[in-house]
Amino acid sequence: MSEPFGALRAQLLDAAQAFAGGPGAVPDLLSGLVDDVDRALREELEIFPVCHHSPASALAMVRRLREKQPKVIYMELCEDLRPLLDELRNCRLPVALQAFASEIDGFPAEWAPLSVVAPITEASAEYQAIAYALDTPGVELVLVDRSTDHVFQWEPRDQPEPENVEPEPENVEPEKVEPEAAAPEEGEEAALHGDAVGIEIGDLRPGFAELEAYLLHHGKVRHWSEWWDQYVEQPLADADYATYRQVMVLIGSLFRRLRPDAGDRTRARDEDRERYMWTRMREHLATSGADPEQCLYICGAFHAASRVEQFGLRAEVTEFEISPRTATRWQYGLIPSSHSAIEAQFGLASGSVSIAAATWTKAVTRGGLTPFQLDGQKGTRKRSRRKRELGTPAPREPVADRLSGFLARPPALDALDEAELLGWCVDIVRLARRNGYLASTADAIAVFETSILLAGMRGRARPTPYDFQDAAITCIEKDAVPGRCDVRRLCEILLGGDRVGEVGYDALPPLARDVLDRLKPLGLDLEKRTIQRALLDLDARPELVPCSDLLWVLRRLLPSDAVRPIMGSRRLGERSIQESWDLAIGRHQRSIVELGYEGVTLEQVLERRLRRAVWAPKATAAQALAAVEDSILYLGSRRFTDELGTRAVELLAAERTVDDAPEVLRRIRRLLTHYRATEPELPEWCQSFVTAGYAHYCTLLPTAFVDEETGVRQVAAMLGFLFGMESLALSFGCDHAQLELAVQQSHPEAPAKVALLWAAKSQLGLMPMSELRSKCDELLGNPLVVPSFPQYMSGFVQALEPAPALAPFMVEVLSKAFARLPDTVLLPWLPKLITTLRDQAHELVPVLVREAGRTFPATLAAVDSWVPPWTSKPRPPSSPASIQVAGPATDLLASHPAACDAVAGLFGYEAEWRPAVEPTGGPGMREVTALMTDHPETARALTAVLRL
Amino acid sequence: MTDEMLRAPAEVKYAEELDWLESVDDAPKPFSWRLSPRMVRLFILGSEPSDGLDREIPQKWFGDRSFVERSIVTLASDRGLLLIGDPGTGKSWLAELLSAAISRNSTLVVQGTAGTTEDHIKYSWNVSMVIAKGQSRESMIPSPIMTAMERGVIGRFEELTRSTSDVQDALISILSEKYVSIPELDDDNIVFAQPGFSIIATANSRDRGVNDLSSALKRRFNFVRIPVVTNKRSEAEIVRFRTTELLKRHQMELELPPTLLDILLQSFADLRAAAASATSDDERLESALSTAEQIGVLEDAILHSQFFGDRTLRAGTLAGSLVGSLARRTPEDLAILNKFWHGVIEPRSKKDEDGPWTEFLDGGREAIAKLS
Repeated sequence: MSEPFGALRAQLLDAAQAFAGGPGAVPDLLSGLVDDVDRALREELEIFPVCHHSPASALAMVRRLREKQPKVIYMELCEDLRPLLDELRNCRLPVALQAFASEIDGFPAEWAPLSVVAPITEASAEYQAIAYALDTPGVELVLVDRSTDHVFQWEPRDQPEPENVEPEPENVEPEKVEPEAAAPEEGEEAALHGDAVGIEIGDLRPGFAELEAYLLHHGKVRHWSEWWDQYVEQPLADADYATYRQVMVLIGSLFRRLRPDAGDRTRARDEDRERYMWTRMREHLATSGADPEQCLYICGAFHAASRVEQFGLRAEVTEFEISPRTATRWQYGLIPSSHSAIEAQFGLASGSVSIAAATWTKAVTRGGLTPFQLDGQKGTRKRSRRKRELGTPAPREPVADRLSGFLARPPALDALDEAELLGWCVDIVRLARRNGYLASTADAIAVFETSILLAGMRGRARPTPYDFQDAAITCIEKDAVPGRCDVRRLCEILLGGDRVGEVGYDALPPLARDVLDRLKPLGLDLEKRTIQRALLDLDARPELVPCSDLLWVLRRLLPSDAVRPIMGSRRLGERSIQESWDLAIGRHQRSIVELGYEGVTLEQVLERRLRRAVWAPKATAAQALAAVEDSILYLGSRRFTDELGTRAVELLAAERTVDDAPEVLRRIRRLLTHYRATEPELPEWCQSFVTAGYAHYCTLLPTAFVDEETGVRQVAAMLGFLFGMESLALSFGCDHAQLELAVQQSHPEAPAKVALLWAAKSQLGLMPMSELRSKCDELLGNPLVVPSFPQYMSGFVQALEPAPALAPFMVEVLSKAFARLPDTVLLPWLPKLITTLRDQAHELVPVLVREAGRTFPATLAAVDSWVPPWTSKPRPPSSPASIQVAGPATDLLASHPAACDAVAGLFGYEAEWRPAVEPTGGPGMREVTALMTDHPETARALTAVLRL
Repeated sequence: MTDEMLRAPAEVKYAEELDWLESVDDAPKPFSWRLSPRMVRLFILGSEPSDGLDREIPQKWFGDRSFVERSIVTLASDRGLLLIGDPGTGKSWLAELLSAAISRNSTLVVQGTAGTTEDHIKYSWNVSMVIAKGQSRESMIPSPIMTAMERGVIGRFEELTRSTSDVQDALISILSEKYVSIPELDDDNIVFAQPGFSIIATANSRDRGVNDLSSALKRRFNFVRIPVVTNKRSEAEIVRFRTTELLKRHQMELELPPTLLDILLQSFADLRAAAASATSDDERLESALSTAEQIGVLEDAILHSQFFGDRTLRAGTLAGSLVGSLARRTPEDLAILNKFWHGVIEPRSKKDEDGPWTEFLDGGREAIAKLS
């Protein structure tokens, strides 16, 4: 068999024989590696192995594309993301392709929403291929990896716990980015992808932690990115295509073969992906009739060393059944990404993607290469068309062994690039000074020297960015970080910094474009990533009112710091004359793009969300009322508001608990006030809500009073509803007797609820004030009950809600309690009283304080002579002759006695009318009589009215 | 020679190894260094088969490789090295190893205290000799730092931030001009530093703010911050390494059961987690819970078992030592330990009935009861 790698295989087997001492796993492994390389290189369809964020891959890709000029490019990327690629030219890279599904079908409900992102950076091989394919006429780009739907289909479903349900990002290592490396402001950029599952082309990393630790230890480096840079990236940067390909497949094969058995699930999934890709390629070749010689298959080095039976165009087994997609509706879009987000998502060391980008830029300049770039790509240097023209394609070279030489030879070391290092040193010192460090030229010299020494110690002549970073930390970082960034972060900024992508207007979903269009009158560039201040004088410029409306909807839908009102508010019954906003829309582009998956306009999204909230199985009446409020505030659609209101009525009637009663009361009161102020009559659903609520709470009241799980606050809110809405409910046909019956049927045992019941009875006139007072006095007089008196007090405090007229009595009881309760009871209760008042009845406190102010003397001197009103004896009735003076007022009352009789009855007196006497001139009476005589018109008019 | 010392300095203890390394080291050496930077690193971090040496060099300091590299490079440059970190993170041990490897002398040490004066850094006088013969180089007592300058070796300054600022500032001229002048003498009154001289200082980050370094001095030092070891595996290695050394020193033959080491490491990890989540100092143990503290606990337990026990290390003894070492403030520390014992150790012991955790639980309870 004439195979190019025969010599290498023999050499490796000899080595295995010599060092491993006989047959075993090592010879198999080593010869397997050579087999894999051989197999991948012999394949008729040219396989281009890549690794993510590898400038070497990107460089090799540029060279190969120019050389081969393939007509069809197959790429390892979810096939359903293909339409998004055309939009890349409207974006500033890095951006991420996103597939998103909130309404899922065929997956466990707790997985929702599903989100997959595939970030694309400029310094990647895949971008080069995309740019080449999209801008070269006659070239077809075919994505062949499983669809995003399959990403989730192939996830195991046997873990019930939610934290396990979220599928792990495919290439996230357990070891996350070092926390100290993440500067505070970096967090926001690092979270750009949200909690999406990350997908990358060319994932290449050791299969288990021990192997990685071993490589790092022996490679004398700190993290994987540094290892890769030192041992693969640098030697391959200027390597020829054959060497590049063979080395990459070799590494892919090594990591593939060195995998623990425990990774069977991942292994099976990876193999299925390979079968999927080969099936898709075969299908495409069959339908398009493309010549395999003219095709290029770009996949991760890991997949290039695949051993599945479907591998290769001439594979014996070709069947692989691709399962149909589920009915889940996937939405696609582009979201901004950033270097730090990519690093965080894929467990790369902080700054590694930036360093890779810097290396790429430098290598492109040094190698005189012209990389591919999409026409109109934002945020890049424009290259002349002449330079981009392709030459004539070169034929494919026969496979020759380049591995032996590569493995046997020490890597060619880069010579010291003094100018580059000097530039870095000067810049880092300048940057450090700007960030509060006391760095000087002496530090620049020290960093320079230390970088060279460190590189020398690590066996290289040219300091890598990592050596430079270490040197800068050693020489500049002292005991404390003076500013926001430490030297490590400053080095990252210097060596490229975190680049944040931006999705261009044309690539945005309709909703996001609509938002930007509608906010145009503000005159701000909202695509900027800075926070911008918008000032809206709504009176002077009424055309800004729609902008204000939109901003409030955005406020409701986006994360809280995306749009933040500084001045102005939107609540029922309020209207801002001027508003001032801090807008960070550019920074929250992802959130807006994701809103775009839910609808075409913001209003539609909000409407859908509100509708979904009120129709959710666990929806409550309080939530429905909140939705009604939101609908009035943000949507202004009467029809929709009524629909939500009607749903609130249904929910209230179906509720079996009264936990939400306080919330319901607060909201319905606010809504009623709003409707009374703005509309001639209440909407129908409000009427139904009040009547349904009245009946509902009347029914539940006796149970709530005795139920231990129902709190006092809830019962107080129920009573508040019943008393507060009673007049309205009665006018809509409810029956007062229902309430009286409910109160009379209530027999609470808990002291707080007993107090509440007394208050309710007193409000209803079922318990006169004198009885209430005597009950309280009895409680205070009974030493066995005294310890529980504070609980009664809490009940009374809560009773202020349904019966505000009890405020004077409350002041009286509180005063008595303070006067008579022993310290052992009073002192532990005081903090509780304060917290209860603050938490549950803060709106009632002003009433209480005002009442207390009225009751207690205002000056210190008056305190001595002050007698509490409740201790003074009721004044003996004065002689009737002195007060029953005949006159228009007396005549009026005497001729219409019903009102007075009712009041007397309420106070517990019997109505008794005595004949009036003529005025005899008591103090002040003469003046009144004189006034009435001089100006009789009022009295006459009143008499006339009454006679009518 | 090592047998005659309670604790031999690193250059004595590893003399044979250093000699061998020096004999095989053919790489260029800076100044008067005895070993090349790469060999210094190898001496401290141990050798790998890939280093191609004929014998194995054990690892002596456990921690991130880059700290060692940065330290060595700093010493080869113009600046002094300041190792900063929490107590018990191995700063002094690293300093000792570095000076032993570079200059074969780690004993030129100034201990910084509140009572350290400038004389301790520069020179002082033998008073009786001055009276008898007058001031001369003969009657001058050079400080360890000055001796290091004269010999071109590494001088050490322990706990730099414990000494007062004016004393610290005496180092400024030594580090920048690299000489000390002796104005009392008329001739031969300048001591120049020989090539190879540098200073390794250590500072405790918990002392921050007591005697802060001046900016001028900070500029002359490269700071290398040594973090507390939180990686359980390296910590286990450190504890095992130091304990073996200790047993050798005490000439004891005592087996250290791996389960007990696990219990100790786990307890410290839990206590650290508790300290990290505590909101006030009262809820936090006074101890820094460093690796050195763990070694202290283990040493205490070993000595206790050796002299008062049955020469076997038991979980109960270990618990007693742990409580004894960590309970410094009464009642705060005791309350925290009590809570820890009930909340963490007790559930663990329930899972592992009749195992060492149960014994550990009982031992700890007993110790807490005795102390409170």
